Formats: sequence, structure tokens, C-alpha cells
Amino acid sequence: MNTLITTLFLGTTRGAVFALVALGLVLVWRGAGIVNFAQMGQAMFSTYVASTLIIKGYGYWFAFLIALAVGAILGAIVDLAVMRPLTRRSHAGVLASDSMRATVPVIASLGILGVLQSLAGMIWAAEERGFPTPVSDVAVKPFGKTAPFTKFDLFIIVVVALTLVVTTLFFKKTGMGLAMRATALNPEVARLSGIRISRVRTLSWAISGVASSLAGLLITPSANLSPNTLDLILIVGFTAAVVGGLDSLPGSVVGGFILGLLIAVINVYVSPDDVFLALLVFLLLVLILKPGGLFASKKVRNV
Amino acid sequence: MLEIRNVVASYGSVVALKDISFTAEIGKITTVIGANGAGKSTLLRLISGLEVATSGAIHWQGESLLGKSPESIVRMGVAHVPEGHAVIAPLTVAENIEMGALFRARSNKDDVKLAIGEVYELFPRLEERKNQLAGTLSGGERQMLAISRALVSRPSLLLLDEPSLGLAPLVVEQIIETIKALCISTGLTVLLVEQNANTALSVADHGVLLSIGSVVADQPAPLMRADSALRSAYLGY
Amino acid sequence: MSSHKNPAARNLFFVIIFAIVIFILGADLDPYNQGQLAVVSMLLIGVLSVTLLTGTSGQISLGQGALMAVGGYASALTILNLGLSMWLALAIAIIVSAMAGLLLGFAAARLTGPYLAGTTLVLALALPSLANRFESVFGGDVGLNVDFGNPPSWLISAFGEIGYEQWQLYATVPLTCLALLATANILSSRTGRMWRAIRDNESAASLMGVNVSTNKIFTFVVSSGFAGLSGALYGLRGIVGPSVYPISLSLLLLTGAILGGLRSIAGALIGSALVVFLPDLIEWATRPLALSEQIGNYLPGLIGGVLLLLTVILNPGGIANVLHHHKNK
Repeated sequence: MNTLITTLFLGTTRGAVFALVALGLVLVWRGAGIVNFAQMGQAMFSTYVASTLIIKGYGYWFAFLIALAVGAILGAIVDLAVMRPLTRRSHAGVLASDSMRATVPVIASLGILGVLQSLAGMIWAAEERGFPTPVSDVAVKPFGKTAPFTKFDLFIIVVVALTLVVTTLFFKKTGMGLAMRATALNPEVARLSGIRISRVRTLSWAISGVASSLAGLLITPSANLSPNTLDLILIVGFTAAVVGGLDSLPGSVVGGFILGLLIAVINVYVSPDDVFLALLVFLLLVLILKPGGLFASKKVRNV
Repeated sequence: MLEIRNVVASYGSVVALKDISFTAEIGKITTVIGANGAGKSTLLRLISGLEVATSGAIHWQGESLLGKSPESIVRMGVAHVPEGHAVIAPLTVAENIEMGALFRARSNKDDVKLAIGEVYELFPRLEERKNQLAGTLSGGERQMLAISRALVSRPSLLLLDEPSLGLAPLVVEQIIETIKALCISTGLTVLLVEQNANTALSVADHGVLLSIGSVVADQPAPLMRADSALRSAYLGY
Repeated sequence: MSSHKNPAARNLFFVIIFAIVIFILGADLDPYNQGQLAVVSMLLIGVLSVTLLTGTSGQISLGQGALMAVGGYASALTILNLGLSMWLALAIAIIVSAMAGLLLGFAAARLTGPYLAGTTLVLALALPSLANRFESVFGGDVGLNVDFGNPPSWLISAFGEIGYEQWQLYATVPLTCLALLATANILSSRTGRMWRAIRDNESAASLMGVNVSTNKIFTFVVSSGFAGLSGALYGLRGIVGPSVYPISLSLLLLTGAILGGLRSIAGALIGSALVVFLPDLIEWATRPLALSEQIGNYLPGLIGGVLLLLTVILNPGGIANVLHHHKNK
């Protein structure tokens, strides 16, 4: 029973981070029709920046905010320097068909991932680093009993919940949020309404960069920092996004929590070695049985 | 005045428009009629910047539109309501309308509020349904919503693509009459593309008849309406 | 020229030329470069699998490395457990990986672009964990030891003393030639035309009577067979294990195919040579700069990534495309 509760708590905190990763993927997918495989490379980079600042003696929160800013800037750069030129040329030559227009941005994002990982390796070497937590990460002991979670776990849950609330309010209550939704749903009508969709897209990339950097900052204390550590998180986030339907923001969040719990259960009750096999089986089942995501109603989308 | 001069548009090897020229007067409804595939929609998409012309010139009030993006053209007072009741179904009615004024929401806050109030006055049914998703509206209501979205940008030129498509005659009449009244009261210029020539000519001041990418007639609407030879040759009634 | 009328004969002609050049070139190189050239020949088969899958039919796979692993394990297990010859083991590797491709193809036929990329990436991560799951069979993290064995005596009598690297090269090249020939023939056949039609416009292809999903699955089968052969040869260099077929191997194949030119055999050739020799080339070019190890280790990755980005943005047709245009001027 105790193991079960611990597992559920672990699943929820990890799930919260996966939800952020999935959210970042879905933001760019909705805004630009691209799945950004470099996303966690960007997060790795901004987490290294934060780690360096902390090592140099700056405070956690200063480093935290700078990392988020670096995440936003990297996101915008990826769009402006790579994806925008790519889509501008997308009617010529090799890119002149739908299948290649879907495929080539994937390849470009892998190129970006390679560049970021190599740069990180050059700048920070391959040394694995730990990453501090802003609050204690030993189990809290209310009333003298050991609870199945730490203060840092609670911190993660609170930060992610706040992020989700802010994101929801941004999309529902602000003009820019409306512009982003309109651009994602129908770019042509959005343009005819005077929305500058390429700016809106760059903003999607930037916000996605913030979300994934946040995920990087929250997951790294439990996973050590190296140029490749966050790759696996991306795969989980991708699966979470697909579970949520890939174009639904709330769906991606729920997908993140489902994946968190699934992985925690596999880790504890089966074997950590089988996590990726389970992930593959789960992903294939979702894609075959519910291609529009677990929450798709009647509308079935062609994936 | 909207001036279309020697406009040619082609896609790959298909020529959609061959050397089109005509003008549309300010404050008037000019209708472009013709059979399916005559190039009517292409013409509107060229004016609003969604497509690029191969050659020619398009001027609105002396300013060239060709080569500008749709985002900039809206800011020049040209609003395009594309074919097929183009609303964004997963957004609410209010959001669809608000979207049309987003680009001037900060600089012109008060006027945006005013403009939104005006379209609700024009189409009270939309105000009743303002918190509903646009996807739940009837075809006629969607068309009203699409037009409202365009009107809150305070256009001086309104491009309407087949507003009658798939709607009951009574609804069409209501929408067309509203537009006509707007022209008279505010001096709005309208370029109305229609397949339903009879309806379009009954409300328009001027008619332009397109056939397979060329202008075959350009005359006052009542004259065109009365020309039975023209009608039977190109419109088939 | 009569060979233009008969593409199969022309293909055969070029492949024989290729084989002769490699054999002559291989005899004079030092063992290190013989080994590198052998790796080029092995990876070329893998890059051709990308040429067929992505370049010809428009599907993307980030799991080609995993299919290479399937081929590697299949051949290693055949050699070690059944005691069959290397050549038979390679044939079995092709069959087993093609069957894996069939399974993958069933899932893949329903998926497009990013979905397919993500799913195959998860596959590439998940498959190596099987090696630990069934450690007694697959040898866990350590893997299985296999090698090319010794060159046959008739070859030694023809070429004189043959080193191990040289034998790797000589054993691989004939198979690479077969793969080149098969690719060339597929590309110029009706099947190749159907695959291209699917790539260019799926709905138009299906209106023309092309069975889209059957063809997509078939592409996966063929491409996986190629990847399996490539992986089996790659493993025969010494070890078949998870560390031999990392995720980065899939990316290496993709990078090679893109840099060289996704749509042509010449592109695959140029690309595989480039990705194998690029690190050596960079090392050679930067030696006077006396870079620190930290920079030197990551420079090939950085340059590879930058080249990949520049290629997709500025010259998506790859190097082969540039050469082709140059020739036509």
C-alpha cells in the first residue's frame, strides 16, 4: 500500500514535468505544424546556463529566470533562423510535396539538436553536473511520519499548476492568446483578420521554449545534467502529446500525467529496463486504436 | 476607387485570369458574376493578398495592393470575407468578431468597442449567441459572423465571396439588404462575387461578367440584368 | 548510347566500375583507411535504405539504427547458435529485419511525418532494452562477439596477403554492389514510380490506382532489409551490442542521405563517404590549430549539424543536386 502511494506521488511529479514538455511540443505543433525534436536540446542548453550561473555564485531564482529567458530566445531563434526560411522555400524542389513538407522540418529540428548538443559539449564539456533545488528534496515529515513526497515535489506541482493557470488565462483572456489560437486553427482567416501570423508563430516558439526550459529546470535535479540527458524526456513528452491528440493543450497536460503514472508504475512494479518498451507499446496502441488521442470525440483526424 | 489593370494570374500552367481590367466606384456595390471556374474567387484572393498575380496592377484609393501581405492589406481598409462562411468554428462568436479588430485593439480601443456594438446591432442574432462556439451556428448565422468579423476592422472596401452559397433565399436577401443599407449609410465600397447572378445584379450598382478568366461585359447592373442575350450566353437562364 | 535504352545494363555497368575502383583503391590504403572505407560501404547500404524510404516514398524513420540492430543480432545469433556461415547469416539478417520492417510498416502506413518520426524514435530507444531484457540470448550491454573470419585462400592467392580491415572491405563491397544495383533497379521500375507518386501526392496516387498503404508497407519491408544487411555487416566488425547501434546511428544515416542528396544513389554514395570521413577531415584540418580535446570531440557533431541545417534550408537537393545541375549547364 505504501509503495503504491509513493508510486502515485512519483508519477504525479514526473507527470507534471512531462505535461510541460508535451505542452511545449503542442504549442509549436499548433502554431507552426512542426514537431520540434530539438525542444529538449534547447532546454538542456538553458539549464546549463542556469547551472553555470549558480556555480558562479548567483542565486537560484536569478538563474531560474535567466534560464527561462534563454529558453524563450532560443525558441525564437530556431523559428527565425531555421524554420521560417525553411517554410518560405517550401514550394520549391525537394520540398514541393505534403509528405516532404512534413518530413523536412523534423530533419531540421534534429540538425538543431545536434548543433545545440555539440555546442553544450564544447562549452561545458561532457562533465555531468548535478543541479540544485530551491527547496529541500528530502521527504517531508509532518507529525513525525515520513510522507511519500519532498518539498521539491510539492514545489514542482505548484510551479506546473501555476504555469498551466497562467497559460490558460493567456489563451482565453488576452488578445495575443486569441491571435495564437486563431493562427493555429485557421491561418488564412487569421491573416485576413490582420493577424501577423509569422510573428504569432515566433511567439509560439518562444513560449514553447519557456515551457520546456522550465521542464528542464524541474527535472534536472533528479537526472543529472549532460548534453544528452533530456533526450529521453522529449520522447516521453512526445508520447504524452500524442496521447492528448497532439493539438490539444489540455489534452497534452492530461497526457503528461498519464505518462508520469504509467512510467512510475512500470519502474516500480515491472522494471526500469522496460520503460521504453512499455512506452512504445502504449504509443502504438494509442496511434492504432485512438489516432486522434485518447480524448478525441467522433472527429477522427488523419495522423 | 478600386482599379484592376491588366491583371494576369496563373498557377503552374493553368491561367486563372487573363488580362482583367475594370474599376469599382466608391460607395457602390460592384458585382463580379460568372460561372464556376471563371476566376472570380482568384480575383478576390489577389486583391486581399492571399495570392500573387503574375502581372498587372491593383490599386485601392491610389495605393498599390499587389505584393503586399494580407495582414497589411487589411490595415489599408480592405476586408475579405472568403467563400464558405469562413469563421473559426472552435472559437466563440464573440471571439470570432474580436479577432477581426485585434490589430487595432490597442490603438483604437474605444472605436473597436463601438464597432463590435454596431455589428451586434446589425445582426442581433449574433449577440444572442455570442458565447456559443461558431461551429454551432446555422449557415446563415455563420455568414453573418464572417461579415461581422470583416466589418469590425472598419473597412472602406469589403470583398464578399459567394455570400449566398448554400443559404435559403430569405436569409440571402436579409444579408444582402443589410450590406446594401451599410453602403448607403456609411459609403462602404463592396465588391461582391456571386454565382447567383440574379440576386447579385438586383442589389448591385455595377456588374462585371467574367468567363473563363476574361471580362466579357462591364456595365451598369440594371442594364446587364435586362440583357437577355448576355444572360442566356453566359449565365444560362 | 544503347545503355540508355536499357537502364538495368547501365546500372550494372556503373556498379561493376564502382566495385573495381574500390578493390583497387582498397589494396593500396593503410589498414585504418581500409577499415573506414569498409564502414562507408556498410553504411552506404543503410543510407540507401533512407534514400528508398524517405527520398523515394516520403516517409521518415528515425529507427533505421534499430533495424540495423535487428540485422546485427539476427546474423550474430545465426553464426553463434546455428554455426552457419557468415554469408548465410547475412541472408537471414536481411529476412529477419525485413519481417521487422513489415510489422513496423503496418503501424507506419497509418502515420505521417512527425508522428512517424516520433514513433520510430521511440522504437529506436525501446529495442536496445530488449538486449538487457533477454540477456541470456542477446548478451546484455556487452553484446555478442562476431567477426568476418578469415579471407578465403583463393582471394589471398589472387591479391596476396590480406589484412583484416582489407578483408572487411572486400567482403562488404560485393554486397554493397548488390544493394546499389537493387536500388537502381527499384528506382527505375514501376514500383519506384508508384513510391514517388505517393511521396508527391498521396491522394492523387491513390486516384491513379496506386494502393497507398500496401506500397508504404512494402517500402518499409525493402528499406528494413537494406538496414538489416547494413547492420549485420556493421556488427561483424567485432561486436553486436546496444552500444554499436545507438540512436545517433539513425541520425548519421539520415544526415548522410540529406547531405549527399536524398533522392539519388549518387547522393547516398557521397553522403556515406562524407559522414564517415568528415571527422577525420576535420581532425586533419584543425590539427594546426591545436584545439583542446573538449572542442575537438564535439566539432564533427557541430559541423555535421550546421551542414545539415544549411542543406535543408539552402540546398535541399544535397550535393548530388548541385553536381547534377553543374553537369547540365
